[in-house]
Amino acid sequence: MVSDVDREQLPAQARRSGFGRVLIAAYAVFALSASARAGVQLATEFGSAPLAYVLSAFAAAVYVVATAALATSGRRGWLVAVTAVLVELVGVLTVGTFTLVDRAAFPDATVWSVYGRGYGFVPLVLPVIGLWWLHRTRPSA
Amino acid sequence: MVDVLVWVLAGAALLLAVWALAGAVRNVRPSGPQLAGMAVLEVALLVQAVIGMVALARTDRPVSTATFVGYLVASVLLLPAGTLWGIADRSRWGNGVIAIACFAVAVVVLRLLQIWS
Repeated sequence: MVSDVDREQLPAQARRSGFGRVLIAAYAVFALSASARAGVQLATEFGSAPLAYVLSAFAAAVYVVATAALATSGRRGWLVAVTAVLVELVGVLTVGTFTLVDRAAFPDATVWSVYGRGYGFVPLVLPVIGLWWLHRTRPSA
Repeated sequence: MVDVLVWVLAGAALLLAVWALAGAVRNVRPSGPQLAGMAVLEVALLVQAVIGMVALARTDRPVSTATFVGYLVASVLLLPAGTLWGIADRSRWGNGVIAIACFAVAVVVLRLLQIWS
């Protein structure tokens, strides 16, 4: 999947180039849409489903942090990115399971509801690809 | 809102997404004709945004203003942002970024129609 040019750059410069740019773009789209959605939900109808909307806002924050960290070079950026992507994975698995078990607690959807079904399950796949990419571009010890 | 225009925009965006995806698979950078196509789509999206704003101001439908305007703004920002981010990469992955941007445009304009009706 990764061309030779990319491989030569690994891992120092590589996190935000090549395939990394595609990953960051995907995260940016989710950061934008999750933030906008959470903003509208919190501003206009918070009272009707507070838990779902707080989770929406939390998910949005995770995507924003992950996007920024993936685009930041250096060991610290890498550590923040790994943390954010792990939180994202745990979040989508937890919220996905909860929404299957107890629909009533989530009258309105979040990005992570039913493992991100409303978004073509991309929220479930994205953290796995993210972790794979971060493993590939991990800073050398 | 002009339904036909929305469908044409979504179709064109999907076509450009497939074009970019094919470019990424073939390991080439975004081509001139491809970028020209995206420029044409961007102009059409701007026209559609103006139409959408006017329609929103005139309508008495129960449309959520914040959501609708948010999607309109996103629809015109995605292609420029994706193109700038994508062409800066000197590999096939520039096309990968552009494919995501074009696909997101298709989703956004279809969501606009969904919110409207």
